[in-house]
Amino acid sequence: MSESFAFLSDMVDYGPQILNGLINTLLLAGTISVTGLFAGILIFRLTLSENRFIRKSTASYISFFIGTPLIVLLFLMYYGLPQWGIKLSPFAIAAIGFTLNIAAYNSRYLSAAYNGIDQQQLMAASAQGFSSRQIFSLIILPQTLRRAIPGLTNQVALNIKDSSIAFLIQYVDFFAQMQEQASLNFQYLKVYAVTGAIYLLLVSLVIFGSKRLETRYAIPH
Amino acid sequence: MTLLQVRNLTKNYDGIGILNGVNFSLHEGEIKVVMGPSGCGKTTLLRCLNRLVEPSSGEIIFDDKDITAADVDIRQVRQRIGFVFQNFALYRHLSALENVKLGLRKLRGLSDAEATQRAIYELSHVEMQDHQDKYPAHLSGGQQQRVAIARALAMDPAVLFFDEPTSALDPLMAREIANLLNRLHAEKVTILCVTHDVTLAKNLPGDVLFLNHGHVEAEAPISELMQNHASENVRAFFEEKAPNA
Repeated sequence: MSESFAFLSDMVDYGPQILNGLINTLLLAGTISVTGLFAGILIFRLTLSENRFIRKSTASYISFFIGTPLIVLLFLMYYGLPQWGIKLSPFAIAAIGFTLNIAAYNSRYLSAAYNGIDQQQLMAASAQGFSSRQIFSLIILPQTLRRAIPGLTNQVALNIKDSSIAFLIQYVDFFAQMQEQASLNFQYLKVYAVTGAIYLLLVSLVIFGSKRLETRYAIPH
Repeated sequence: MTLLQVRNLTKNYDGIGILNGVNFSLHEGEIKVVMGPSGCGKTTLLRCLNRLVEPSSGEIIFDDKDITAADVDIRQVRQRIGFVFQNFALYRHLSALENVKLGLRKLRGLSDAEATQRAIYELSHVEMQDHQDKYPAHLSGGQQQRVAIARALAMDPAVLFFDEPTSALDPLMAREIANLLNRLHAEKVTILCVTHDVTLAKNLPGDVLFLNHGHVEAEAPISELMQNHASENVRAFFEEKAPNA
């Protein structure tokens, strides 16, 4: 009983730091979810380019970032770039690294959704006189985004969880603060159980939001 | 007045001729039906006429201008050619009203209120005003076809192209579409209709352009084509499609 009380007391004492870490986690996850979405849309758009070189280059980009461990990219920037005199903050490195990686995955979700679109709609839009830019923004994107909601929101959940690896490049997020806490009170089991529960809570909120979005924006079929 | 004149139009895919020198003309207010056996190039012809498919050679004179010329703004031309597709091709994420409004807003530059008013008028024109808020998935094939026609009409086209307008419809709905085409024709709408549906062709007043192996084999009212036409291909086609006619 007293051990549990001591654990809770430690958590309360360390609360401001934990809260700060949680805010940093949400800041990073929120940032990379937004930038990753926009970059993913850009990459997806390029996969539809009529220019063969652009399509091939985009395919190579996607293969590279899906095929390379994210931690390698983060370490490359964190430890490698200073050797060229470029020093970025851990947040900037994490934001850039994650965005590059997430964009590749998001573009794949959008491409899969695009493949489900009746292509005659695009021909109809072209026949109506819409430009390819208009066809993308008015016909393709609204439909692919709505069809890709499960994949895209799943990626947001992954972003929350995966952002914890940013502590390896000295980004002081929620996981880093909890690890610090565990190393101070040696209550590894309890600290990591609480850590897992809080990540689970955050991801559950995303999944709940995802279901709402899916219901609201589903294309009638 | 001649609205559309096609001269020696050809289209080759990998050296194989799909259209091999098509010639015909379409006058303002006229309705013309394009028929022919499967693979004869009917749909390719229609898609070449607004350059959804680029022709290999030939001229397409639309409104006294060769629209195959390099300096032609084909998007502007397409805005004057209404195209109704075989499977309706409505935008699935938009309601019937929004489908009709989209071109008015984004191509014609109408305000939301103006576009809504015009779209409702066109939906009423095809008796779809009561379904304006429904999505394509909630409309029957015939209703979707009507919305597609309203969408095309809303742009004030000089001509309407129909690609197999009844092929995805049951006989009752096909008859309704035939009636609608006749009504549009009575309103002096110029129509070019590709179909393999002999019943539809018989219900439309214009000449039939019989396409075979990528060229025009005959052009005459359907009654003439069905009664012992000189061409064996024409006779064979109609005997197969309408053996009891």
